Amino acid sequence: MRKSSLARRTELEFASLMIPGLFLFSVGVIVPMLLGFYYSLTSWDGFTKDLPWAGLSNYAKMLADANAVSAWLFTLKFTVLNTVIQNALSLAFAVVLDGNLRGKKVYRTILFVPCLIAPIVAGYIWLRMYSDVLPALNALLGTKINFRLFGSGDTVLPGLLIVNQWQWVGYWMLIYVAGLQSIPVELYEAARVDGASRTRQFLRITLPMLAPAITICVVGITVGSLRVYDLMVSSTSGGPGRSSTSIIYQIYNTAIAGRQYGYGSAMSMTLIFVLLVVAVIQLGALRRREVQL
Amino acid sequence: MSDERKEPRRRMRPADIIVQALMTLIAAVVALPILEVVNLSLKTKRELYVGDPLALPLRLAWENYGIAFERLRLGTAFLNTLLYTTISVAVTAILASAAAWAIARNKGRLFRLSYLYFVLGILIPYQALFIPIYVMGYSLHLINTVFGIVFMYVAVGMSFCVFLMASFMTQVPLELEESARIDGCSVYRIFFSIVLPLLKPAIATLVILQAFGTWNDFLMASLFVSDTKLKTMTVFLRYLFSTTSQDYTTAMAAIVILFVPIMTLFAALQKYFIKGMTVGALKG
Repeated sequence: MRKSSLARRTELEFASLMIPGLFLFSVGVIVPMLLGFYYSLTSWDGFTKDLPWAGLSNYAKMLADANAVSAWLFTLKFTVLNTVIQNALSLAFAVVLDGNLRGKKVYRTILFVPCLIAPIVAGYIWLRMYSDVLPALNALLGTKINFRLFGSGDTVLPGLLIVNQWQWVGYWMLIYVAGLQSIPVELYEAARVDGASRTRQFLRITLPMLAPAITICVVGITVGSLRVYDLMVSSTSGGPGRSSTSIIYQIYNTAIAGRQYGYGSAMSMTLIFVLLVVAVIQLGALRRREVQL
Repeated sequence: MSDERKEPRRRMRPADIIVQALMTLIAAVVALPILEVVNLSLKTKRELYVGDPLALPLRLAWENYGIAFERLRLGTAFLNTLLYTTISVAVTAILASAAAWAIARNKGRLFRLSYLYFVLGILIPYQALFIPIYVMGYSLHLINTVFGIVFMYVAVGMSFCVFLMASFMTQVPLELEESARIDGCSVYRIFFSIVLPLLKPAIATLVILQAFGTWNDFLMASLFVSDTKLKTMTVFLRYLFSTTSQDYTTAMAAIVILFVPIMTLFAALQKYFIKGMTVGALKG
C-alpha cells in the first residue's frame, strides 16, 4: 500500500511539472481557437457588446466572395509550388553537400544563414534586389533579364517563391543532411558489392532511409506555406492589385481594416481545417512509407 | 587517420569541378542580398541615389548606424525585442522541458493524452488565430504590456517545443534519475539538478529555433504592442520601410542591427544546434 501511494505522489509531482505548459498552451492557443469558432458563427464587428448570431452564413459568404476565393487560390498555388520546389532543392543541396565537395560546411552555413533574417525584412531586401540591385547586374553583364518580378501580377508569384527558397532552403537542407548522415555506410558498401548503380543506390537506399526526414520537411513546408503573410507585408503589400494576397493577409484586411471579426474568423477556421486535413493526409501517406521499411 | 594517409586526397574529376563551381556560384547568389544590405548600409545617401548599387562605398558611412540608433530611437526597440525574446525563450525552455520529461517518464493515460494535445498545436499556427488572440488580449488588458506579449510568445511556442524536447528524452539516461530518487530527491529537484543540465544540446536547439522565431516575429508584435515605448524591432522596421523611402541607408543599417544578435547567437550555439537537429528532428 505504501508503495502505491508513493508512486501516486510521484505521478502527481510529474503532472504538476506539466501543468504550467498545459495551462499556457490552452489559454494562448486552444481557447482562442474555440473563441474563433464561436466568432465565425456571428456577424460581430469587434465593437458591440452582443455578438449577433449568423449561423453558417459567413462560410457561405466566403465561397461567394471573389476576394476570399482569389486569396485562397493564391495561397494554394503558393503552397503546392513551394512544397514541391523547396523539398526538391533542399534534398538536392543536402545530397551534394553531404558528398566529397571541398568546404561543404561553408556552403551549408551560407545557405542556412538567410533563414535567420526576419521574413518581413527578407521581403524588403528583395523588393530592393528586384528594383535596383539586380537591374544593375543586368547593366554590368550586358543582359536584359526582367528582374522587376513584383511589378506585375503574372510574375509576383515566381518572385515571392524565389525569395522563399532563398530564405528557407538552407533550413530544410540541414534536416535532410542530418537524415543522410544517419544512414549506415554499410548499406552503401553492400550495394556497391552487389554492383548497384548510383541512381539505384539513391532510389533504393537513400530515399527510403530518408523517410522520417521527408515527413518532417513535407509537412513543415506545407504548414509554413499555408500561413505565409510577413513576407508580403513589406514587399508587395498583397499586390499588384490583389495578386499576392494570401489568406492570412485577407483575414487581416477583413478583420482589422474591414472590421468584420465574424467573417474573418470564418476564414481563419477554414484555414485551420485545411491545415489539419492536409497534415493528416500527408502524415498518413508518408508514415505508411516509413513503416514499410 | 591511417586510412586517410594511405588514400591521398582524391583527385577532382571534371564532374567534381563543375559541381564545385556551381555550388560556389549558388553560394555567391545566396550571399549577395546580405552582402548588399551591408554594403548599402555603409553608403551615404548621395552615393546611394547616384551611384551603382553594386559598387563599394567610397568611404564607410558609419554614421548611418548612429542615425538608426539615435534619431529613430532604435535603441528602445532593440532592448524591447531583446527583453521579450530572452524572457519568453527562457520560460519556454524550462516549461517545455518539464512537460516533455514528465510525459517521457510516465506511461499513464493522462500523460499520453496531454502529449497528443500539445502536438496537435503544432498544426495550428497562431497566425490563423490572431483575431481571437487580439480580442482576448484586449479584454484581459494584456495589450501593450510586457507580460502580455511574453505570455503569448510562450503560449504559441509551447507545443512545438514540447514535441522537440520529448524527442530528446531518450538521450537522458534513466540510471542517474533512479539513483537520485532512491536517495529521496523530489521530482522537482531531479528535474532541475539532473535532467535540465543533461538536456543542454536539446535546449540549445530549442533556444535557437525559438529565439529566431520570436526575434523575427512581426504579426504578434504588431497586434500586441502599439505603444512606441514597447515596440519591437520588426514593428519598428515596418514603420521605417513604409514611411521613409528616402531614408533607405538608415533602413539598411537597421536591418544589419536586427540581424547581428541572432547571427551571433547562431554562431555561438551552432555546434549544438546541428547535433540537435539530427536527434530532435528525426526521432520525432
